[in-house]
Amino acid sequence: MHNADTLERTTVPQQQGAAQRIVHYRAYKPAPFTLEDREQATILFGGLQWRTERLIQGAIERFGYKTAVLPTATREDLLAGRELADIGQCCPTSFTTGNLAGFLRKESQRLGAAEVSRRYVHVTAGSCGSCRFGQYHQSYELALRNLDLESFRLFLLQQNALDQGEAAGQGLDLSPQLMTGVFWAVLMGDVLQDLEYQIRPYEVHAGETERVARESVERLHEALRSAPLRGGRKSGVLWYLLTGHFTAALREVYARYAAIEVDRLRVKPLVKITGEFYLQTVEGEPNYNIHRWLEAEGAEVYPAAISIWIDYLLRLAAQEAEDRIGVRRGARVKRAGAAAVQGLLRWNYDRMRAALGGLPREMPRQEELRALAAPYYHSRLNGGEGDMLVGKALWAHRKKKAHMTCELSPYSCMPNTMSVGAMAAALGRHPDVLYAPLEIKGDAEVHALSRCQMILTEAKRRAQREFEEALERTGLTPASARERLAGHPARLAGCKVPHGGAAGTAANLVLHLAATN
Amino acid sequence: MDTSAAGTETRIAHGALPARDKLRLGIPRVLNVWSTHQFWIGLFGALGLDARRIVFSSDTSDEQMREFGKGRGTVDSCYPVKCVSAHYGELLALDRHRRIDVLFSTMIYSVPSFLHGHVVDSLACPRVMAAPENIKAGFLKEGDAFAARGVRYVAPLVALGEPDMAARQLLAALAEFLPGVTRREVEAAVRAGYAALEAFAAAARRQSREILENCARLERPCLLVLARPYHMDPGIGHEIEVDLQAYGFPVLWGQYLPTDPDLLGWMFGAEVAAGQVRSGLDIADVWPSSYSANTNEILWAAKFAARMPWIAGVIRLSSYECGMDQPTYTPVQQIVERSGTLFFSFQDLDSTKPAGAVRIRVETIAHYLARDAAGIIARKRDASPPDCPLAAAPLP
Ligand code: SF4
Ligand code: SF4
Repeated sequence: MHNADTLERTTVPQQQGAAQRIVHYRAYKPAPFTLEDREQATILFGGLQWRTERLIQGAIERFGYKTAVLPTATREDLLAGRELADIGQCCPTSFTTGNLAGFLRKESQRLGAAEVSRRYVHVTAGSCGSCRFGQYHQSYELALRNLDLESFRLFLLQQNALDQGEAAGQGLDLSPQLMTGVFWAVLMGDVLQDLEYQIRPYEVHAGETERVARESVERLHEALRSAPLRGGRKSGVLWYLLTGHFTAALREVYARYAAIEVDRLRVKPLVKITGEFYLQTVEGEPNYNIHRWLEAEGAEVYPAAISIWIDYLLRLAAQEAEDRIGVRRGARVKRAGAAAVQGLLRWNYDRMRAALGGLPREMPRQEELRALAAPYYHSRLNGGEGDMLVGKALWAHRKKKAHMTCELSPYSCMPNTMSVGAMAAALGRHPDVLYAPLEIKGDAEVHALSRCQMILTEAKRRAQREFEEALERTGLTPASARERLAGHPARLAGCKVPHGGAAGTAANLVLHLAATN
Repeated sequence: MDTSAAGTETRIAHGALPARDKLRLGIPRVLNVWSTHQFWIGLFGALGLDARRIVFSSDTSDEQMREFGKGRGTVDSCYPVKCVSAHYGELLALDRHRRIDVLFSTMIYSVPSFLHGHVVDSLACPRVMAAPENIKAGFLKEGDAFAARGVRYVAPLVALGEPDMAARQLLAALAEFLPGVTRREVEAAVRAGYAALEAFAAAARRQSREILENCARLERPCLLVLARPYHMDPGIGHEIEVDLQAYGFPVLWGQYLPTDPDLLGWMFGAEVAAGQVRSGLDIADVWPSSYSANTNEILWAAKFAARMPWIAGVIRLSSYECGMDQPTYTPVQQIVERSGTLFFSFQDLDSTKPAGAVRIRVETIAHYLARDAAGIIARKRDASPPDCPLAAAPLP
């Protein structure tokens, strides 16, 4: 027992006057977002990676709203978050709370609290889980109270409903049509990110990928923002499903990426990022800039797509309904509905991948991840990433999708600690899995990165060995492989190097060069 | 691989099993088993197991951890989950004639809650539900410790908050060690389990009401403990409330407060009429994210304390690194304190009981209660409607 903390909350009682009326505590309730607010108020959001955030802006702006993205959270935000809300938060809660509070505090100093409350509203994920993901807003609310910003409006999105319309008042109509636009932004953000991370480590001219990425995101932002408004609140969803508007824009973007000159014979370990949703998604100080750090250390990063998480949530919904068939009315229909939405998600994801030359990696099948994880983690345990966390690490290893898995595990996260613990049994049975669970506290970077470094060293060795084996198998040498590459389409980023059974890009390229020359 | 309904490979089978009435079943006395143990006793009793052969592990203690839990942890966690390894270890170590055949550790996904129907959901904490998977790993990572002891490990996932699901979810797991058990048998046993649990809760609520009636009659204060069910474990909650009881203050637990309509009508009727809440069991006014059963009950009990004149003080217990309690600290404290009720909180409880510090706190609490209780009761009663049903109760 920690005495200091234990004693912390002793309240010295105040004597009150006998006639004092009791005013009971009530939770924060946002004032509605009225139709007039639409003209004035800016919708604030954040917490994802920059590409997706920019695309979501386009999807929302299409409906006439003003939007702004919160800056990526910093260490300063972490400290502010810890200070403003109750102690003992998981680190993503601290980061996001501090991030919102920091932004509002600065704006308040500039404009005054009343103007900030008038000018901005914050929309954030509510989530239906019982972990703190469903309770982030509690910390936000406390921070707002502590900043005297109680009239600031904060709206929660429920992850299990497409129609969010009623939640916020008449002015903010988060209709199925608008939400589908947001989902499309997420899908496109994912495929773009995946493509970019496949190219940048191999680019011949430094900075080219980054430039193309920025231009591409702007092009797609515009495609979302200026998309024709077809159909009503609900029927408009159909348009998204059937339109070639976005795939055409993606093809245009692909042409830009395709022309980037690359040298994929650079031997690099492929590192898959997994972990808690926020930490695996964000690119910045909350996860010690792990993506950039890994690239700087000579790795190729396999980023975590948000779409896979959505696919997972749909799988959970389908499972939940499936378990209740014969017990709950409508369960069969619900299961079919969830499976159908899952099918549509995957189909559209694949359409977008195809528009990008088939380069972005496919989503793993949920059934496969579930089966791999089954001996170690029950598929019905939810909160966080559940069994998917175990499944993804085993899948990446068994299917040679990566040399190592870097697991971003937030300090004090409830579900994540459970899955990471369960991994111990999986590693007992598969000792050759390279698995680096990094506890992310937000301010213990050296410790986490040096731990990652150790496993990365082994991943590098494996990548090198695999490359040498590929050379040996094909009878090529580094020099002859390079010679073959000179006239080969694979010297440009647009050429897809098929997965030839190796995890690493260079080894697969050697196998491909041997097969195609 | 099929993972439907009961589906995971959490069963690790070893050797032949004795007949039902001879079977020795070990149940770790941890986490939500503290609020559902009557269910399990009722269930296994109805299935023909000998009650004397159902072995619960002991209360949590340092010695237990030292002796049975060492080296089994896989990851840092909150204290109540960390302890589970020691409970597993203790049950596995039971010697020859007390040796268990089955270690039965359920993944309790949701729990029955008296707030059901008034809240969004009644889920268990993500760590509570997943603890068996996490702890199991510590006993498998370097060889199968269950097999080494000839013990069958059975860990079904069960949504106890959905009675119509429980039988279905338990059937496959029970069939693992009760060959030939039928669906009907399990359904009947599940019903018996719920009946036992309800009877226990009803008796506990009645007792709490009697305490409150007594306090109302004698104008005496009592205390309310706001904690998770497993804080009743002396090794987790450190019996802080027992120390307070020694000063003569009756102690109530939030989980077992009376929910009789007359009482709730008296306490919450005006707020229901004003549209602030939908019912006396609604907590949307203070905690809209009402997914977690134990959290919901803590929040509701805090509201109860704020409106119950004779609850003059509230003791909040929280364990080290509890992620569920963290966002509730301020709301709970505010709910209680705004009513003028005394609030004392013991946070970050872990393995060691710093006897000195607790003693000083307990003395402080007793001092404030003795000094302020009469005023608190009077003020809260003044703010309450007349005709309190507690005061009208006949003398025992
Ligand atoms: S999943 Fe973990 S890190 Fe994310 S909100 Fe929940 S407790 Fe926090
Ligand atoms: S409620 Fe808190 S103490 Fe209990 S298992 Fe969950 S995190 Fe741990």
